[in-house]
Amino acid sequence: MSYFAQALVNGIALGGMYTILVLGFSIIWGVMGVINLAHGEFVMVGAYLAWMASDFWDVDPFISAPVVFVVMLLFGYLVQRVLVNRIIDRSSLVSLLVMFGVSIILQSVMKIAFSADFRLANTDLDGAWRLSDQLTIPVTRFWILVVAVGVTAGLGLFLGHSRLGKSIRAAAQNREAARIVGVDVKKVYAVTFALCIGLTGVAGALISPLLAVQPFQGPPLTLKAFAITAMAGLGSVRGALGGAMVLGMVEAMLALYVDRIGTNLAVVASFVLLVAALVLRPQGIFKGLRHVDATST
Amino acid sequence: MTGCPESPAVTAANPGTPLLQVQDVRAGYFAGQDILTGVDLEVHRGEIVCVIGPNGAGKSTVFKAVYGLVPVRSGRVLCDGRDITNISPQDALRVAGITIVPQLRSVFEQMTVHENLEMGMVTERHKARVRERIDYVYDLFPRLAERSKQPAGTMSGGEQRMLEIGRSLMFEPRLVLMDEPSAGLAPKITRQIFAAIDRLNREIGLTVLMIEQNARQGLEASHRGYVIEMGRITHEGRAAELLGDHQVRRAFLGVR
Repeated sequence: MSYFAQALVNGIALGGMYTILVLGFSIIWGVMGVINLAHGEFVMVGAYLAWMASDFWDVDPFISAPVVFVVMLLFGYLVQRVLVNRIIDRSSLVSLLVMFGVSIILQSVMKIAFSADFRLANTDLDGAWRLSDQLTIPVTRFWILVVAVGVTAGLGLFLGHSRLGKSIRAAAQNREAARIVGVDVKKVYAVTFALCIGLTGVAGALISPLLAVQPFQGPPLTLKAFAITAMAGLGSVRGALGGAMVLGMVEAMLALYVDRIGTNLAVVASFVLLVAALVLRPQGIFKGLRHVDATST
Repeated sequence: MTGCPESPAVTAANPGTPLLQVQDVRAGYFAGQDILTGVDLEVHRGEIVCVIGPNGAGKSTVFKAVYGLVPVRSGRVLCDGRDITNISPQDALRVAGITIVPQLRSVFEQMTVHENLEMGMVTERHKARVRERIDYVYDLFPRLAERSKQPAGTMSGGEQRMLEIGRSLMFEPRLVLMDEPSAGLAPKITRQIFAAIDRLNREIGLTVLMIEQNARQGLEASHRGYVIEMGRITHEGRAAELLGDHQVRRAFLGVR
């Protein structure tokens, strides 16, 4: 029983981490129809920034996260202006290839700059709270969960109620109609992409004390983000939270109840879940920003 | 609705320059392949004008030329006497006060009726002003008020078209371009839509330029009409006259 309680806690904590990791990917896909294959690399760059702050200036990742957000926001805006803007009206294959190229470039640049050594940032919010002999709460993950829930709520309010947020949703649902009512679709895309890359960088900063920071940490994160997004509904903020929680819980339970599965094999769980979700509910479990439609993405 | 409404343009109470003038416009997507080969038409304040013609004659291109979606190669488009040739779609809305109701479904399906109307005035910063306009549209279409919290995509095709028209009114347009308001709707619903356009015209003096595939109903709801064939205007006149014209009847109204 107490093992179960611990697995529950671990699942929720893992879910919080996945939430912050998936939001930016999901919204870019939902709003712009771009599958950002370089998502994991943006996480990685954010993680390196936080590690540098931690290693060089002894700044806690939870403190440097807002700065990482701003730096990555600007970086995202640059990538959007130089690359994504040009391919937005092309077929999805073009954006897949371009973003794949970006991911390779980022990996190589970071490897040249920092070598392939594994790094970890230091945080004061580490260790565990011991509630009983068999139940502990991992502190870092707890605070990541708090940030994730806060960011999710903030994004929900922003998209649901602000003028810009509504324009973003409108452009996601019907690009032509958005143009007709006077939405500057290019501007909406630029803002969306920059904001999402900023968020993605924050995710990297927050996991930098937990997950080894290295140039090739990205691809598995991209795959997870893909699985959660496709499962939960493109661009759905609540879906990202829900899907991330489901996946976190499933992985934690698998680790507890299936012998010798290990955390690595648990990765398979996300894809089993994805396939099951696609068969049972191809439109996504939650209502997304955009319909899953072969012609629109 | 059988008789055509009397055109306000022909009364002495409405002199002055037409609201929209299209003067000898040649336009097309590619140089040397003009779809419009010299189109002249005008719309006066308070008028409903219908453009009919066969598929591929250039009906939609007339709209696109006015709205800056296709380049005008020669000729002029004037709004209130001001040259707006090759204006950008955003300026057509903001500067010239022209809104468009496109042929394909253009509601934001997953947003509520209320949010859809808000989007019709997305460039307005004053919330009170937006609310005022929404109440105004609800007054015109009580049906939309009833459904204000419903996602637009769950309404019937006719209701969605009403919403599109309502949304186009949010901006207080001087002219609304309607691309086949009857497209994809059952005949009964089509009649309701045309009745609504007619009512708006009489109640708030809405000026409408529309394209119709459904030539008879379109003309019956209009003051004046134009027939476009092969990229130029071949007939024009009061809608009642066009409905009675032998050639027009044979060609477009299915009458021998």
